[in-house]
Amino acid sequence: MKLTILATAAAIAWSGTTLSAETVAVITPYLAQPGTQAYVEGFQAKAAEAGWTVNVIDTAGDVAAVISRIEDAVTQKVDAIVINVDPAQVAAGLQTAKDAGIPVIGMDAGTDPLLVTNVTSNGYAMATETSVYLANRIGGKGGVVMFVFDAFPPVQIRGVMADAVFANYPDIKVIDRITPDVQDGGIADSRAKMEAILAANPEPGSIAGVWAAWDQPALGALQAIEAAGRQGEGIVVTGIDANPQAREAIAAGGNFEASMAQDFVAMGAAAADATRRAMAGETIKEKVIYVPTVLITAANAAP
Amino acid sequence: MLKHLRQSGTLIGLLGIVLFFALQLPDTFLTARNLLNVSQQISMLAVTAFTMTIVMVMGDFDLSVGSTASLAGIVAAVLFAAGWPVWAGVAAALAIGVVGGLLNGALVAYVGILPFIATLGTLTIFSGTAFLVSDGKTIFGRDIPPGFAGFARSGVTLTEGVTVPAMSIAAVLVLLVVYVTLEHTIYGRRLYAIGGNVHAAELAGLNVRRLRLSAFALTGLGAAMAGLMYASRVASANPTQGAGLMLDAIAAVFLGMTMGRQGEPHVMATLVGVLILGILDNGLTQMNVDSYVREILIGGIVVAAVAMSSYGRARG
Repeated sequence: MKLTILATAAAIAWSGTTLSAETVAVITPYLAQPGTQAYVEGFQAKAAEAGWTVNVIDTAGDVAAVISRIEDAVTQKVDAIVINVDPAQVAAGLQTAKDAGIPVIGMDAGTDPLLVTNVTSNGYAMATETSVYLANRIGGKGGVVMFVFDAFPPVQIRGVMADAVFANYPDIKVIDRITPDVQDGGIADSRAKMEAILAANPEPGSIAGVWAAWDQPALGALQAIEAAGRQGEGIVVTGIDANPQAREAIAAGGNFEASMAQDFVAMGAAAADATRRAMAGETIKEKVIYVPTVLITAANAAP
Repeated sequence: MLKHLRQSGTLIGLLGIVLFFALQLPDTFLTARNLLNVSQQISMLAVTAFTMTIVMVMGDFDLSVGSTASLAGIVAAVLFAAGWPVWAGVAAALAIGVVGGLLNGALVAYVGILPFIATLGTLTIFSGTAFLVSDGKTIFGRDIPPGFAGFARSGVTLTEGVTVPAMSIAAVLVLLVVYVTLEHTIYGRRLYAIGGNVHAAELAGLNVRRLRLSAFALTGLGAAMAGLMYASRVASANPTQGAGLMLDAIAAVFLGMTMGRQGEPHVMATLVGVLILGILDNGLTQMNVDSYVREILIGGIVVAAVAMSSYGRARG
């Protein structure tokens, strides 16, 4: 009897150690940023369920150190590596991992042939949702002002989708397609540009909506509309990203009506799921895995 | 006996760290591949710290090396993007490092500003210039020629599977040049003389101003070189990427200074300091130690080493 208990205990202890054999290194230079912390939180929750040993490595902004830590993780023979950094900048480390046959998963990192897959939000989908929201709110007709930034690829794809949606409504006219100066963060210059457009279109109702590819120009446009005393005309403003300032403006119930929130915790969880699949030896065909985003309006803007 | 123990304490510490990791990580730590990895990982810090030793020999120091490194990377990348050949971009970036170093040296030696304040000022100036030149953006992709990024991935293959990285070779060359300059030339003896007693050096007829000016220029050149190595390793340039080099370089020199007879820096001792920092990073990562715990440990080791050394010196 005693022996059986001992044997069982030993077996449990043994199986316990073998089950938790997987070691995963999560390497990022950006752990101090709130979004990154949320990814890691989501990842660790899933990893704890699976019993993995997770080593979260923050290089505090040092990208070359990410390469060094990838090399160390390869030397240590971890089972998988997760990165949250532009893969093109750490290609030297990714090549080392590939040569050693260790899968590397991107957590909102960017697409790269050396990554098994990259988990992120769908910028095309986010822009489609806000532009359709705006088109519906203004009844499919009227003048629309667009704020875009085509020099930065992740924002450029947002503008492409909004262009397509507005072009599909015969009665929507794009009054102007503005690229604000972002040196000051994008709010102040967007406000100045919007003030000029308001001055050029003085009749009430001549501007039906403002579509912004991210939140800062939407906030700038909102300030311009309020400063011009034209907040009563029903101009609908939308942004993307749902940053805290935007959520506050949306919750206040003014002209700024909608934005899109990325689900960082879910991205971390999805990265953990992709890691599990890669460690099981599965070939992941999707080079990018999209995590659903959420339309934020006054109904759900409270953070 | 006590004196020897104090002087060699840091070296014993390094050997202790190596032994500890060798026992904890028997399969992976003391392998040729891992040690070559470490040599490549520390190469940028090493070049910065070796050339930082040159000004610290005189009792000065340079806070601007990190932003000089960032600026050098940015300047090279911007010129590459403008179609300059690799050698020309690299030469211009190194020249920027020398000019920055000369500015530091002029402020310290001729204007008479304390090195801490002068180089704190230029740190901000160089960093701002890097942001201005790059528009605050990271320069990467097609703008970085393969010939430049390829340097960090190249090396000399000794035998099958054992390749000494080009970055490590570059660091060793800088080590040798700094070693010979500081320890085996009149120029180096004069820098040590300034560090020993600046007034005595002046009275002995040394041109202290010009010596300090040139020493800062060499430190600036080294920082620019480290910045180019960094940019090559990440195949991109970002206006803040060298920032972490400064504190680590000063820490490495301080660690090495515990080995000096009078607490003065020597470049071979700086190498010991760099190795301690680099090996801790490598080994603790492999042991799954939290990165923040690692930082606390490294800071603690620097303070403990310097404290032991000054305690030992106070007691003679």
